[in-house]
Amino acid sequence: MKRRLRWASAVTTVALAAIAAVIATSAYGGAKTAPVIVDGSTGTVVNIDPANEYDYDSFTVDLNIFQGLYGFPHGAKLAPVLATGCTHSTNLKTWTCHLRHGVKFSNGDSMTSADVKYSFDRVVKIKGDQGIYTLLSALKSVSTSGAYTVVFHLNTPDSIWPYILSTNAGYIVDKNTFPSDTILANTDTGHMIGTGPYVLTNFTPSQQAVFGINQHYWGTKPKNGGLIIQYYDSSSTMKLALQNKTLDMAFQTFAPNEITAMKKNTSLTVHSGPGVVIRYLVFNVKRKPYNNINVRRAIAYLMPRQDIAKRVYHGTVSPLYSMVPKGLPGQTDAFKKMYGAKPSLAKAKAAMKKAGVKKPLPITIWWTPTHYGSASADEYVEIQRALDASKLFKVTLKSAEWATYSGALGKQYGAFQLGWFPDYPDADDYTVSFYQTGSFFSNGYSSKQMNSLIKKERGAKTEKLRYTYLRDMQMLGAKDLPTIPYWQGNMIAVSQKAVQGIGNTLDATFYMRFWLISK
Amino acid sequence: MTGTSLRTYLITRLALVVPMVFILLTLVFLLLRVAPGNPIQAALGGHVPVKVVHQIEHRLGFDKPLLTQYGDYLWNIMRGNLGTTITDNRPLSQIIKQNGAATLELTFFAMLIAIVVGVLVGLVAGRYRDTPLDVGGRLFGVVIYATPVFFLGLMAQLVFGVWLGWLPVSDQASPITQAFLQTHTNIYFVDAIWDGNWAALWDIVKHLILPASTLGLVTAGVFIRLTRVNVIRTLRDDYIEAARARGISERRVLFSHAFKNALVPVITIVGLNFATLLGGAVLTETTFNWPGIGHELVLYLENRDYAGVQGIIVVFALVVVAVSILVDFLNAYVDPRIRY
Repeated sequence: MKRRLRWASAVTTVALAAIAAVIATSAYGGAKTAPVIVDGSTGTVVNIDPANEYDYDSFTVDLNIFQGLYGFPHGAKLAPVLATGCTHSTNLKTWTCHLRHGVKFSNGDSMTSADVKYSFDRVVKIKGDQGIYTLLSALKSVSTSGAYTVVFHLNTPDSIWPYILSTNAGYIVDKNTFPSDTILANTDTGHMIGTGPYVLTNFTPSQQAVFGINQHYWGTKPKNGGLIIQYYDSSSTMKLALQNKTLDMAFQTFAPNEITAMKKNTSLTVHSGPGVVIRYLVFNVKRKPYNNINVRRAIAYLMPRQDIAKRVYHGTVSPLYSMVPKGLPGQTDAFKKMYGAKPSLAKAKAAMKKAGVKKPLPITIWWTPTHYGSASADEYVEIQRALDASKLFKVTLKSAEWATYSGALGKQYGAFQLGWFPDYPDADDYTVSFYQTGSFFSNGYSSKQMNSLIKKERGAKTEKLRYTYLRDMQMLGAKDLPTIPYWQGNMIAVSQKAVQGIGNTLDATFYMRFWLISK
Repeated sequence: MTGTSLRTYLITRLALVVPMVFILLTLVFLLLRVAPGNPIQAALGGHVPVKVVHQIEHRLGFDKPLLTQYGDYLWNIMRGNLGTTITDNRPLSQIIKQNGAATLELTFFAMLIAIVVGVLVGLVAGRYRDTPLDVGGRLFGVVIYATPVFFLGLMAQLVFGVWLGWLPVSDQASPITQAFLQTHTNIYFVDAIWDGNWAALWDIVKHLILPASTLGLVTAGVFIRLTRVNVIRTLRDDYIEAARARGISERRVLFSHAFKNALVPVITIVGLNFATLLGGAVLTETTFNWPGIGHELVLYLENRDYAGVQGIIVVFALVVVAVSILVDFLNAYVDPRIRY
């Protein structure tokens, strides 16, 4: 028995030593291939198929694979991508686009007008549950004229149609690989064929997306040998992975205190550029006491924008004085002009006097704890502190998780926190979405003057005229106060020192163009 | 009752599974519906007009009477159709295969660590009762058992991952390994051996150490106390005295007689602790970004994804039931006194 045991021990020891030796001496080939960029993200990819993609994290994946007729290839200026240009009829209801010649999909198929018509018809037919098809609500039909001309027939005049063409509702897919009436599964990478700089080679839900180079790409080849996006549940784990050098870079989304900590880390670089994410407070203008414009004005006079940006976000966001973030054409600081750059207690007191309120007015403000990041709690404590300190208000804060919160909004809440990420980076998306009658947050705001401005803006024949209407809309919004904007987020990415090119993609589009990054 | 056959016992035990699972399914279904909000609101609320949200809810049948939804749900389960998640259109079967494999890998190694550490420390503490070794072992057992698994995980990440830089802090493998490893079973440890990819195996083992140790050590706390108590009790038994009186060496008395018998009740507890281990796996997976089934459960819960949450809980329930039946069966087989 003892002998048997000794033999077993000896054999086990030798086997373990052999395995250890093999492991120690072998080299893992995969790690030494082309310079693949490994990026970290806390996002959740919902649908990669453009016909049902309507969230930023899925969009970040799609941006690498698909392209539209228009886009933002270099900065925040709209430019033709798969089209060479589009012209419109005098009534802005017919848009004719001429396609770029020689464009191929990643599987080698040529892109023609048939693919363009197929892609648009598909989005409208599928009506995916993520709601992206709503961006094409103005589209009546699509027709082709030869292999390289597409005509869009619209229901209403639409000056922003080229912007719609830049969204993923207008991304062009290969008609030979995408089914016409169903959404392609995220893991069906073999059929996920577009014209972008990368090809999706593997997607493991909530773990990673792996991209190879599109060998048929018509534009400038990516500066790296491929891309991996690794997904994390929490930013703290992602931060550790970055410090641990598992990641080359991480984009979206760190907490403000984590960014501050990483700025002190000498092996990492924190890149920051203009952003398009905004936060704002919404009022239900039909609900007491917010149905009194002077109560809303008093809150606007007291909004502690600088304190939120400095104390809560450590400077990673900037005070915002319009629903349109700075950096976009047509933006004007409407709230600064109307309520001043800094809080004014005297003006707030005057407004409350006009409202006929003498004692501190008890109000309830709702916010949501996780959907907009953990700093939301501090953000609303700061607002509460500022309003309570004025002795004009007695604020009660209430919160609900997003699944509950998003179903209630204006239907149940009088004042509530919201954030916005645009469908397309243009002032139109930051005004019409909030100020038109029957907006998505059900706050009861309806203004004939505003609706008229929206109609004029959508029918404007020149960009100059359109921006004039957009500025008027911002001023009217600040006067009527259905919402109060308070900060604009910066686009922040953190990388190892050796990573180059991130600065070239940080602009007001909030597009992470991975193909510009190398190491 | 002691006269009941093993077959009858097994049939009774299996028959009890049906109402148990049924009650669980009903509870999960109701709890998810009672909570305000639904997956469409969670995904689209605050972004698209309310009218569109309602249209989509209608298309997906979320506005149907609760009883109709419940009937559809049960009918699908009975046909073995766990469905597809609402938020990202993943078939539940795919989640079980991919993420279930990751959980299996984690829980297997965690259980291994729990047994090795728990039993060894318990044996030593029991054998050297009231010595510093015993005090140390008991203290370790109590502290490790009382430590929340996520706290232990965070400390391990900080010390071994960041400060010392010895081990990776998250994931099942490094991104490059994960991207290029051929998956056959979705259990990376097995896949790497299957392909003879030793570098990948080393990478996978390094990634396993912290999460498996965290989960294993917390579970080991129970085993330490139980093993210790059983060793002490067994060492006082008459047959141990008799063995010593017959002149059998102390080493043989300990290893061949005392320890062997002391471990019988521990085996039962190991089985029963499987459910606890799965619960701990949810937290461990979240802490270490381990792509297991518990990790997915948390994501689907946040998004009110009825199909995702229901499907995963059904799987969890069935696994726990299967393991407890197996343990009961083994107990009944080993000890003929155990019968219903």
